[in-house]
Amino acid sequence: MPLLRNPSKEPLWKDEFSVFTSDERYVTRRQFTKFLTLASLGMFVGNLWILAKSRLTKTPAFPTAEVAEINEIPVRGVKLFTYPTPQDHCIMIRTGEEEYAAYSQKCTHLSCAVYYSAKNDRLECPCHQGFFSVKDGAVLQGPPPRPLPQITLEREGTKLLAIAVQGG
Amino acid sequence: MANLEPSKQRRGLVTIDGAMALIVILLVVQIWLLSATLETFLAGHSGTVVPAAIFSGLIFLGCLALDFFVTRVDQESRKS
Amino acid sequence: MHGYEFYVDPSRCIGCQSCVVACAECETHRGKSMINFDFIDRQGTTAAAAYVCWHCEEPTCAMVCPADAIKKGDDGIVQSSLKPRCIGCSNCVLACPFGIPKIFPEYEQMMKCDMCYDRTSVGKKPMCATVCPSQALSYLRPEEIAKRREKPTNLFRFGNQKIVTRVHMMVPAETDTVSLEVLDYMWEESYAASSQPQ
Repeated sequence: MPLLRNPSKEPLWKDEFSVFTSDERYVTRRQFTKFLTLASLGMFVGNLWILAKSRLTKTPAFPTAEVAEINEIPVRGVKLFTYPTPQDHCIMIRTGEEEYAAYSQKCTHLSCAVYYSAKNDRLECPCHQGFFSVKDGAVLQGPPPRPLPQITLEREGTKLLAIAVQGG
Repeated sequence: MANLEPSKQRRGLVTIDGAMALIVILLVVQIWLLSATLETFLAGHSGTVVPAAIFSGLIFLGCLALDFFVTRVDQESRKS
Repeated sequence: MHGYEFYVDPSRCIGCQSCVVACAECETHRGKSMINFDFIDRQGTTAAAAYVCWHCEEPTCAMVCPADAIKKGDDGIVQSSLKPRCIGCSNCVLACPFGIPKIFPEYEQMMKCDMCYDRTSVGKKPMCATVCPSQALSYLRPEEIAKRREKPTNLFRFGNQKIVTRVHMMVPAETDTVSLEVLDYMWEESYAASSQPQ
């Protein structure tokens, strides 16, 4: 500490453990301020740690799974499947002749199963009236904080495959 | 050693109290920043991580500057 | 405090010990008197002296306390030792040049005069100054003490050490410092001589 402390004729212990109550008030405040600065440093290090993790961890490899045949479901029809594990329930909607969309079925609010409402052309959660867009899974209305994770589909011949999960 | 007149001492203490209040506010902001960054990162959006780290660093530098200020006020209270 | 200062004039002390009894009435220090009362030479004279804590500017007792138990406040009064901190080591008892702090081994605590802080902080006089019939211990304004023939001083020299106190001592007008050469008052040699077998 000698670099940062102004040289004064009193030794450090006389400053820190002063016999004068007026000095004591300064000492306690100074020590508290130092502690707060240390806490701030700790949180900055936390942010750096997150930064390091984001640089170092690779995106996990997803398995490829067959979902359905090309013309298995009609337009505005729905198929339920599980991807990537049997515990992850997903929903696929045929939005057009050649267009399909697939999302995780777990509502991002409290994990109720969402269903497709053909009348309103959106994904709806029955628990708290959360609505998601079919185009990109964005939240249209309600308590869900985040959009629905999207399942990337790939067409291979007459089959539709799920190859990745985006957004959680 | 501590024979400053009470009015000057009180002013020094008030200054330090103000600096401490500022630091506490900065710390609250930093706590929120850390928790929000962690939540977004875990949700998969890693684009916010770098600006958050920069802002956190700036807040820490602010706290450090206030800490130096408090130490200087404290030393000046003893000099005379 | 509040414009009053404490003045000690040992030449006025008649040895009645009213101050000792009055101080002991206070429950703040458990009925023990904090006055340092001295019969100077009991065999040779009736002279007596009563002293209170001198509340030095740089209190030696506080400086040597290992537990940081003695504090001096903004108003210049050196407080008695803090109960949670004092370990009863007697360092202050040994260090004080005036011999003021008293150690109480049954409490493992040092206690000393704090100029009746509960009274003086609200403008009253300390108990000893209130009851002293000859005003050897007095708590007066400086203009009132100026009427006396003796003059107050608060500068003491113990050998090379200079001590400035809050409490004043009344000394003859031409004296400005009370200087004591400690070696002059050490009488071990005379005791050693008298204890030798004849």
